[in-house]
Amino acid sequence: MSVQINLHKTHRRYTNGQETINVEGETVGQCLEDLVVKYPPLRKEVFVKAGKLNPLMEIYLNGESAYPNELAREVKEGDRINLIYMLAGG
Amino acid sequence: MFTKGELKRYDRQIMIPGLGKKGQEKLKKAQVFICGAGGLGSPIAIYLAAAGIGSIKIADHDRVELSNLNRQILHWEEDIGRKKIDSARDKLNKLNTSIKLEIIHETIDEENVLQMLDGVDAIADAMDNFQTRYILNKAAIEKNIPFFHGAVNGFEGRVMDIIPGKTACLRCMYHGPIPSEKFPVIGVTPAIIGSIQAMEIIKYIVGIGELLVDRLLVFDGLYMEFKEFKVKKNPECEHCGKMMKKNDNSGS
Repeated sequence: MSVQINLHKTHRRYTNGQETINVEGETVGQCLEDLVVKYPPLRKEVFVKAGKLNPLMEIYLNGESAYPNELAREVKEGDRINLIYMLAGG
Repeated sequence: MFTKGELKRYDRQIMIPGLGKKGQEKLKKAQVFICGAGGLGSPIAIYLAAAGIGSIKIADHDRVELSNLNRQILHWEEDIGRKKIDSARDKLNKLNTSIKLEIIHETIDEENVLQMLDGVDAIADAMDNFQTRYILNKAAIEKNIPFFHGAVNGFEGRVMDIIPGKTACLRCMYHGPIPSEKFPVIGVTPAIIGSIQAMEIIKYIVGIGELLVDRLLVFDGLYMEFKEFKVKKNPECEHCGKMMKKNDNSGS
Protein backbone atom coordinates (compact mmCIF):
# COMPACT_ATOMS: atom_id res chain seq x y z
CA MET A 1 0.00 0.00 0.00
CA SER A 2 1.25 3.46 -0.79
CA VAL A 3 0.49 5.84 2.06
CA GLN A 4 1.29 9.51 2.48
CA ILE A 5 2.89 10.71 5.71
CA ASN A 6 2.61 14.40 6.58
CA LEU A 7 5.54 15.27 8.77
CA HIS A 8 5.65 17.73 11.60
CA LYS A 9 7.72 20.74 10.59
CA THR A 10 10.53 19.90 13.02
CA HIS A 11 10.96 16.61 11.16
CA ARG A 12 11.34 18.24 7.79
CA ARG A 13 14.98 19.13 8.44
CA TYR A 14 15.65 15.42 7.96
CA THR A 15 13.81 15.28 4.63
CA ASN A 16 15.30 18.30 2.86
CA GLY A 17 12.23 20.30 3.78
CA GLN A 18 9.78 17.83 2.27
CA GLU A 19 6.49 17.82 4.14
CA THR A 20 4.91 14.73 2.66
CA ILE A 21 6.66 11.43 2.18
CA ASN A 22 5.19 8.43 0.37
CA VAL A 23 5.79 5.17 2.18
CA GLU A 24 4.75 1.54 1.85
CA GLY A 25 3.14 -0.67 4.44
CA GLU A 26 0.06 -2.58 5.56
CA THR A 27 -0.10 -0.96 9.00
CA VAL A 28 0.76 2.41 10.50
CA GLY A 29 3.76 0.77 12.18
CA GLN A 30 5.08 -0.60 8.88
CA CYS A 31 4.61 2.80 7.23
CA LEU A 32 6.54 4.52 10.00
CA GLU A 33 9.27 1.89 9.78
CA ASP A 34 9.54 2.54 6.05
CA LEU A 35 9.78 6.26 6.81
CA VAL A 36 12.64 5.90 9.28
CA VAL A 37 14.47 3.49 6.97
CA LYS A 38 14.29 6.16 4.26
CA TYR A 39 15.30 8.91 6.70
CA PRO A 40 17.30 7.27 9.53
CA PRO A 41 17.68 10.42 11.70
CA LEU A 42 13.89 10.39 12.09
CA ARG A 43 14.00 7.11 14.02
CA LYS A 44 14.96 8.76 17.30
CA GLU A 45 12.21 11.36 16.85
CA VAL A 46 9.43 8.88 16.16
CA PHE A 47 10.37 5.92 18.35
CA VAL A 48 11.88 5.69 21.82
CA LYS A 49 12.76 2.07 21.08
CA ALA A 50 11.75 -0.53 18.52
CA GLY A 51 7.98 -0.64 18.30
CA LYS A 52 7.50 2.02 21.00
CA LEU A 53 6.36 5.49 19.93
CA ASN A 54 7.81 8.67 21.36
CA PRO A 55 5.22 9.63 24.03
CA LEU A 56 5.15 13.18 22.64
CA MET A 57 4.13 11.95 19.21
CA GLU A 58 0.51 11.72 18.14
CA ILE A 59 -0.63 9.91 15.04
CA TYR A 60 -3.72 10.78 13.04
CA LEU A 61 -4.93 8.51 10.29
CA ASN A 62 -7.06 10.27 7.68
CA GLY A 63 -7.65 13.11 10.14
CA GLU A 64 -8.69 10.89 13.06
CA SER A 65 -6.72 9.93 16.11
CA ALA A 66 -5.19 6.47 15.63
CA TYR A 67 -4.81 5.98 19.40
CA PRO A 68 -4.64 3.43 20.98
CA ASN A 69 -2.55 0.70 19.33
CA GLU A 70 -1.62 3.14 16.59
CA LEU A 71 1.16 1.03 15.16
CA ALA A 72 -1.15 -1.94 14.56
CA ARG A 73 -3.76 0.06 12.67
CA GLU A 74 -4.26 -1.20 9.13
CA VAL A 75 -3.93 1.25 6.27
CA LYS A 76 -5.37 1.36 2.77
CA GLU A 77 -3.93 2.62 -0.48
CA GLY A 78 -3.95 6.42 -0.47
CA ASP A 79 -4.38 6.82 3.31
CA ARG A 80 -2.89 9.85 4.99
CA ILE A 81 -0.93 9.79 8.24
CA ASN A 82 -0.22 12.99 10.17
CA LEU A 83 2.55 13.05 12.77
CA ILE A 84 2.11 15.83 15.29
CA TYR A 85 3.63 16.70 18.63
CA MET A 86 1.86 17.15 21.91
CA LEU A 87 2.55 20.61 23.27
CA ALA A 88 3.05 21.32 26.95
CA GLY A 89 3.74 25.05 27.18
CA GLY A 90 1.38 27.68 28.47
CA MET B 1 -30.55 42.63 36.30
CA PHE B 2 -28.03 45.01 34.88
CA THR B 3 -27.04 48.51 35.84
CA LYS B 4 -27.07 51.23 33.19
CA GLY B 5 -23.29 51.07 33.16
CA GLU B 6 -23.30 47.33 32.54
CA LEU B 7 -25.77 47.66 29.68
CA LYS B 8 -23.52 50.26 28.10
CA ARG B 9 -20.33 48.29 28.75
CA TYR B 10 -21.66 45.08 27.22
CA ASP B 11 -23.80 46.71 24.53
CA ARG B 12 -21.80 45.35 21.59
CA GLN B 13 -22.00 41.76 22.77
CA ILE B 14 -25.60 41.95 23.96
CA MET B 15 -26.32 42.92 20.32
CA ILE B 16 -25.06 39.52 19.15
CA PRO B 17 -27.94 37.26 18.10
CA GLY B 18 -28.07 34.32 20.47
CA LEU B 19 -26.22 36.15 23.22
CA GLY B 20 -28.43 39.06 24.22
CA LYS B 21 -29.28 40.04 27.80
CA LYS B 22 -29.99 36.43 28.70
CA GLY B 23 -26.52 35.36 27.65
CA GLN B 24 -24.98 38.31 29.40
CA GLU B 25 -26.83 37.33 32.58
CA LYS B 26 -25.35 33.84 32.29
CA LEU B 27 -21.87 35.32 31.95
CA LYS B 28 -22.47 37.50 34.98
CA LYS B 29 -23.53 34.52 37.09
CA ALA B 30 -20.65 32.29 36.00
CA GLN B 31 -17.48 31.47 37.85
CA VAL B 32 -14.43 30.49 35.81
CA PHE B 33 -11.24 29.04 37.25
CA ILE B 34 -8.11 30.02 35.32
CA CYS B 35 -5.23 27.71 36.15
CA GLY B 36 -2.16 29.84 35.63
CA ALA B 37 -1.58 33.56 35.18
CA GLY B 38 1.10 33.26 32.51
CA GLY B 39 1.11 33.23 28.71
CA LEU B 40 -2.27 31.57 28.23
CA GLY B 41 -3.76 32.81 31.50
CA SER B 42 -3.19 36.44 30.53
CA PRO B 43 -5.41 36.64 27.43
CA ILE B 44 -7.95 34.24 28.93
CA ALA B 45 -8.30 36.39 32.05
CA ILE B 46 -8.37 39.68 30.15
CA TYR B 47 -11.04 38.58 27.67
CA LEU B 48 -13.19 36.87 30.28
CA ALA B 49 -13.00 39.92 32.54
CA ALA B 50 -13.81 42.19 29.61
CA ALA B 51 -16.75 39.99 28.64
CA GLY B 52 -18.24 40.31 32.12
CA ILE B 53 -17.71 36.86 33.61
CA GLY B 54 -19.05 37.57 37.10
CA SER B 55 -16.46 35.67 39.06
CA ILE B 56 -12.91 34.73 38.10
CA LYS B 57 -10.64 32.59 40.21
CA ILE B 58 -6.95 32.47 39.27
CA ALA B 59 -4.27 30.20 40.70
CA ASP B 60 -0.55 30.61 40.12
CA HIS B 61 2.44 29.95 42.38
CA ASP B 62 5.00 32.03 40.48
CA ARG B 63 6.41 35.52 40.70
CA VAL B 64 6.85 37.79 37.70
CA GLU B 65 10.25 37.61 35.99
CA LEU B 66 11.69 39.73 33.19
CA SER B 67 11.70 36.69 30.89
CA ASN B 68 7.89 36.41 31.25
CA LEU B 69 7.19 39.76 29.66
CA ASN B 70 7.43 38.67 26.02
CA ARG B 71 4.10 36.89 26.39
CA GLN B 72 2.48 37.30 29.80
CA ILE B 73 0.68 40.52 29.06
CA LEU B 74 -0.99 40.80 32.45
CA HIS B 75 2.43 41.58 33.88
CA TRP B 76 4.54 44.65 33.26
CA GLU B 77 8.08 45.77 34.13
CA GLU B 78 6.86 47.35 37.37
CA ASP B 79 5.57 43.92 38.47
CA ILE B 80 8.87 42.07 38.35
CA GLY B 81 9.29 40.21 41.63
CA ARG B 82 5.59 40.43 42.55
CA LYS B 83 3.32 37.44 42.80
CA LYS B 84 1.70 36.91 39.41
CA ILE B 85 -1.73 36.64 40.97
CA ASP B 86 -1.33 40.06 42.67
CA SER B 87 -0.24 41.60 39.39
CA ALA B 88 -3.13 39.87 37.59
CA ARG B 89 -5.67 41.02 40.19
CA ASP B 90 -4.52 44.64 39.90
CA LYS B 91 -4.82 44.70 36.09
CA LEU B 92 -8.14 42.89 35.96
CA ASN B 93 -9.58 45.14 38.68
CA LYS B 94 -8.63 48.15 36.61
CA LEU B 95 -10.20 46.62 33.51
CA ASN B 96 -13.51 45.69 35.14
CA THR B 97 -14.34 46.70 38.69
CA SER B 98 -17.70 44.95 38.63
CA ILE B 99 -16.37 41.39 38.56
CA LYS B 100 -15.37 39.33 41.56
CA LEU B 101 -11.79 38.12 41.62
CA GLU B 102 -10.34 35.39 43.77
CA ILE B 103 -6.61 34.78 43.71
CA ILE B 104 -4.79 31.68 44.91
CA HIS B 105 -1.04 31.67 45.38
CA GLU B 106 -0.57 27.92 45.47
CA THR B 107 0.76 25.11 43.34
CA ILE B 108 -2.15 23.09 42.03
CA ASP B 109 -1.79 19.49 43.19
CA GLU B 110 -3.88 16.41 43.88
CA GLU B 111 -4.44 17.51 47.48
CA ASN B 112 -5.89 20.96 46.86
CA VAL B 113 -7.40 20.77 43.39
CA LEU B 114 -10.90 19.59 44.31
CA GLN B 115 -11.31 22.37 46.84
CA MET B 116 -10.18 24.92 44.25
CA LEU B 117 -12.92 23.73 41.93
CA ASP B 118 -15.75 24.35 44.41
CA GLY B 119 -18.44 26.49 42.81
CA VAL B 120 -16.64 26.63 39.46
CA ASP B 121 -18.61 26.44 36.18
CA ALA B 122 -15.67 26.12 33.78
CA ILE B 123 -11.92 25.50 34.02
CA ALA B 124 -9.40 27.19 31.74
CA ASP B 125 -6.18 25.24 31.23
CA ALA B 126 -3.39 27.80 31.30
CA MET B 127 -0.72 25.52 32.72
CA ASP B 128 2.80 25.08 31.45
CA ASN B 129 3.18 21.36 32.11
CA PHE B 130 1.32 18.14 31.50
CA GLN B 131 1.55 16.79 35.04
CA THR B 132 -0.73 19.54 36.37
CA ARG B 133 -2.95 19.35 33.30
CA TYR B 134 -3.63 15.68 34.05
CA ILE B 135 -4.42 16.54 37.69
CA LEU B 136 -6.90 19.14 36.44
CA ASN B 137 -8.32 16.84 33.78
CA LYS B 138 -9.01 14.13 36.37
CA ALA B 139 -10.48 16.58 38.87
CA ALA B 140 -12.66 18.20 36.20
CA ILE B 141 -14.11 14.79 35.34
CA GLU B 142 -14.64 13.92 39.00
CA LYS B 143 -16.45 17.23 39.63
CA ASN B 144 -18.20 17.17 36.25
CA ILE B 145 -16.88 20.59 35.23
CA PRO B 146 -15.99 21.41 31.60
CA PHE B 147 -12.25 21.77 31.03
CA PHE B 148 -10.92 23.98 28.25
CA HIS B 149 -7.49 22.77 27.20
CA GLY B 150 -4.88 24.91 25.50
CA ALA B 151 -1.13 24.50 25.02
CA VAL B 152 1.62 26.25 23.09
CA ASN B 153 5.19 25.86 21.90
CA GLY B 154 7.03 28.27 19.63
CA PHE B 155 4.63 29.36 16.90
CA GLU B 156 2.33 26.37 17.50
CA GLY B 157 -0.67 25.83 19.68
CA ARG B 158 -3.59 23.50 20.24
CA VAL B 159 -7.03 23.74 21.76
CA MET B 160 -9.70 21.22 22.75
CA ASP B 161 -12.80 21.41 24.96
CA ILE B 162 -13.58 18.57 27.34
CA ILE B 163 -17.11 17.99 28.57
CA PRO B 164 -16.89 15.30 31.28
CA GLY B 165 -18.77 12.12 30.54
CA LYS B 166 -19.58 13.19 27.01
CA THR B 167 -16.40 13.88 25.08
CA ALA B 168 -12.82 12.72 24.81
CA CYS B 169 -10.62 14.02 27.61
CA LEU B 170 -6.97 14.95 27.76
CA ARG B 171 -6.03 11.55 29.13
CA CYS B 172 -7.84 9.64 26.38
CA MET B 173 -4.65 9.85 24.29
CA TYR B 174 -2.14 9.24 27.06
CA HIS B 175 1.18 7.78 25.95
CA GLY B 176 3.10 8.06 29.19
CA PRO B 177 4.81 10.72 31.29
CA ILE B 178 6.03 13.85 29.54
CA PRO B 179 8.91 15.71 31.15
CA SER B 180 8.48 19.37 32.10
CA GLU B 181 10.97 21.61 30.40
CA LYS B 182 11.58 25.21 29.46
CA PHE B 183 9.71 25.76 26.21
CA PRO B 184 10.27 28.32 23.46
CA VAL B 185 7.39 30.66 22.63
CA ILE B 186 6.55 33.89 20.85
CA GLY B 187 3.95 35.92 22.72
CA VAL B 188 1.34 36.01 20.00
CA THR B 189 0.96 32.22 20.10
CA PRO B 190 -0.58 32.12 23.60
CA ALA B 191 -2.48 35.30 22.65
CA ILE B 192 -4.18 33.37 19.84
CA ILE B 193 -4.67 30.10 21.72
CA GLY B 194 -5.78 31.78 24.97
CA SER B 195 -8.26 33.92 23.04
CA ILE B 196 -9.75 30.81 21.45
CA GLN B 197 -10.03 29.20 24.90
CA ALA B 198 -11.78 32.33 26.23
CA MET B 199 -14.17 32.24 23.27
CA GLU B 200 -14.98 28.58 23.87
CA ILE B 201 -15.68 29.29 27.56
CA ILE B 202 -17.98 32.18 26.65
CA LYS B 203 -19.81 29.99 24.10
CA TYR B 204 -20.20 27.21 26.65
CA ILE B 205 -21.56 29.49 29.36
CA VAL B 206 -23.97 31.29 27.03
CA GLY B 207 -24.91 28.03 25.29
CA ILE B 208 -24.34 29.11 21.69
CA GLY B 209 -22.41 27.74 18.76
CA GLU B 210 -20.56 24.44 18.43
CA LEU B 211 -17.91 23.58 20.96
CA LEU B 212 -14.51 22.21 20.06
CA VAL B 213 -15.29 18.76 21.44
CA ASP B 214 -13.84 15.51 20.15
CA ARG B 215 -11.85 17.78 17.83
CA LEU B 216 -8.31 18.98 18.34
CA LEU B 217 -7.58 22.33 16.76
CA VAL B 218 -3.90 22.65 15.88
CA PHE B 219 -2.46 26.04 14.99
CA ASP B 220 0.84 26.69 13.23
CA GLY B 221 1.62 30.39 13.07
CA LEU B 222 4.68 29.94 10.88
CA TYR B 223 2.56 28.53 8.07
CA MET B 224 -0.58 30.34 9.29
CA GLU B 225 -2.54 27.11 9.27
CA PHE B 226 -5.32 25.79 11.44
CA LYS B 227 -5.82 22.04 11.18
CA GLU B 228 -8.45 19.98 12.87
CA PHE B 229 -8.21 16.35 13.91
CA LYS B 230 -10.91 14.08 15.25
CA VAL B 231 -10.24 12.67 18.69
CA LYS B 232 -12.04 9.64 20.04
CA LYS B 233 -13.15 8.83 23.56
CA ASN B 234 -11.07 6.00 24.94
CA PRO B 235 -13.32 3.55 26.81
CA GLU B 236 -10.27 2.38 28.75
CA CYS B 237 -9.21 5.91 29.71
CA GLU B 238 -8.08 5.92 33.33
CA HIS B 239 -9.69 9.32 33.94
CA CYS B 240 -13.00 9.25 32.09
CA GLY B 241 -13.49 5.59 31.12
CA LYS B 242 -15.62 4.70 34.16
CA MET B 243 -17.80 7.76 33.71
CA MET B 244 -18.30 6.89 30.04
CA LYS B 245 -19.37 3.35 30.89
CA LYS B 246 -21.76 4.64 33.58
CA ASN B 247 -23.34 7.07 31.12
CA ASP B 248 -23.59 4.42 28.40
CA ASN B 249 -25.30 2.02 30.79
CA SER B 250 -27.79 4.66 31.90
CA GLY B 251 -28.57 5.39 28.27
CA SER B 252 -27.56 9.06 28.51
